[in-house]
Amino acid sequence: MSTVVERQTPGRYARLMTTLLRETLRLDVWVNRLYPTDFNPLYYTGGLSNLFLFTLVLSGIFLFFYYDASLGEAFASVQYITDRVPYGGIVRGVHRYAADGFIVAILLHLLRNWFTDRHLFARDNPWISGMFLLLFGGFIGFTGYQLVWDERALTRLFIGGLGISDGTLVRILFLHIGPATALYAFLWWHYVRLRHPKIWPPGVWVLFCVGLVFLLAGVVPMTRETIPAAAPAAHPTSFPMDVFFLIPFWLLNFLPAGVVVLLLVALFVGGLAIPYASRRETPVEMGVRHSGVAQVIDGNCTGCELCYYDCPYNAIVMVPSPGHRSLLAVVIESRCVECGICIGACPFEALELPKFLERDVLRQVAEALRPGSGQAVRA
Amino acid sequence: MTQVPKVIGFICDWSVDLKPLSDGGRLRELPNVRVVQVPCSGFVRPDWLEEALNRGADGVFVTGCPYGDCLNREGNFLMRDRIDQLQRRLQRRKVDTARIGMLAFGLHDGAAFLAEVKAFVDRIAVLPPAQPARTAGRPAVAQPAGTPEGERT
Amino acid sequence: MRTVYTMGVALLSGLSLLFAVGIIYGEATDQWFLGGGSVGALLIAYSFIVLLLRKMGMTGPRKTER
Repeated sequence: MSTVVERQTPGRYARLMTTLLRETLRLDVWVNRLYPTDFNPLYYTGGLSNLFLFTLVLSGIFLFFYYDASLGEAFASVQYITDRVPYGGIVRGVHRYAADGFIVAILLHLLRNWFTDRHLFARDNPWISGMFLLLFGGFIGFTGYQLVWDERALTRLFIGGLGISDGTLVRILFLHIGPATALYAFLWWHYVRLRHPKIWPPGVWVLFCVGLVFLLAGVVPMTRETIPAAAPAAHPTSFPMDVFFLIPFWLLNFLPAGVVVLLLVALFVGGLAIPYASRRETPVEMGVRHSGVAQVIDGNCTGCELCYYDCPYNAIVMVPSPGHRSLLAVVIESRCVECGICIGACPFEALELPKFLERDVLRQVAEALRPGSGQAVRA
Repeated sequence: MTQVPKVIGFICDWSVDLKPLSDGGRLRELPNVRVVQVPCSGFVRPDWLEEALNRGADGVFVTGCPYGDCLNREGNFLMRDRIDQLQRRLQRRKVDTARIGMLAFGLHDGAAFLAEVKAFVDRIAVLPPAQPARTAGRPAVAQPAGTPEGERT
Repeated sequence: MRTVYTMGVALLSGLSLLFAVGIIYGEATDQWFLGGGSVGALLIAYSFIVLLLRKMGMTGPRKTER
């Protein structure tokens, strides 16, 4: 960090990202005054997204029992859920507000990990899979609004065949639930290179978020928005807008449809390019944080697996050691983020960061302890 | 203890901003504290802390990011556990656990960091002079630099 | 500070009792939105109780930050 601040790159992107990094961490200072660090919600944005997703799955299963995917019955079944089924309106509200919370938590997660450089180098796997999770999340929200089959649903997408029929709603129902299932496949991809992914927020935030969703469902019930049922001939001119999922349709007020589609595609592709397009700091500016991929000193490795258990990015695998009965640690270079945690884990001096060796550290220690050492040399 | 204790701090490059605090590898306000910048607090091998105590340091501490906010996800948690183990190990050799510390401070926590280091140094200053942690097999006094210590690897 | 936290916990406990009554009342009179909303308010009150207990040091991880 301090190396960053010392040698500032003149690039505008670099300066902007450094400012954003500093302000993100300043926000943490404020949140940490209110909440202890193990309760800080900004450290658990990914877990919060997962919590909302879990809430969505549970309430979605409930709604699925009552939903009727046919033209005549879809809107009526939604009304039946809201008015007749005990607490059906609450569950419908939970499903809707948890979806909003899901998108908010995902965006917080994205921005925080972007601003704090957690998307760079070997950490790009969660970023790329996260872009797909965001894309699918937005798409699922959109099909969810179509399922209600009120006038808001008449956006004339995924019609299929010659016109709107029962098959249309079945198709949309599949396009709602199928990608939602696929989210869990993407989540596997998201977690695959993380040793202990933080997939659940602290209890205080589980209580708060579930509580907030229920409170909103009770205080701002879904029946407040009275939107008439969709009729094939209707041309709705205005309807209540959801900020998080229907923004592209709001943009249709000002831009032609092709431009909106192009904008979405550009956002997605640009998001995929973010870890590779530009960096906040050059490798030289990273200083000690760029000390090269960890190297195993084969003769010292005893195959004790300590580094394997501690590596946060699953970059170390244990392979059978040739000629011995023990194992041997091997660093997968494409996964290593050069943090050096394995060096601290190894009691046998079998791992080194090539540009910051153990003897460099011990030299600094010796210099510090030499009697009368005034001006110490920096590494 | 009459003289100022010599303290070595291993400080994560991503945690507290050392630019306004340090000068030539030493804290400006506490010149007896030598800082060694490391890529992550988890990089520090507990052996090095023990080594520093053996060579005559009065105290060692490691500073990482706030718990939960490690850039490398869990380096500070791992280091906290390792420090706990080291404290237990050295306690059996009659080394006071106050000589080994784990701190966690973010980029903007410079003032709190300094206060904590000051408290750490004050705790050490009142302790009786350090006994060498490892009494047998190895000279406990500070060795001149360039001894085969670093050549082992 | 501890007394402030204790008073906060007591206050939130009273509020939670109120919300619990709201759940039962909503259920008894078939006002489902009132009942469901009270569930949410109750959970939020619980979350702040947990936060206060954590700040008092009565709950939370075994090794708190040092």
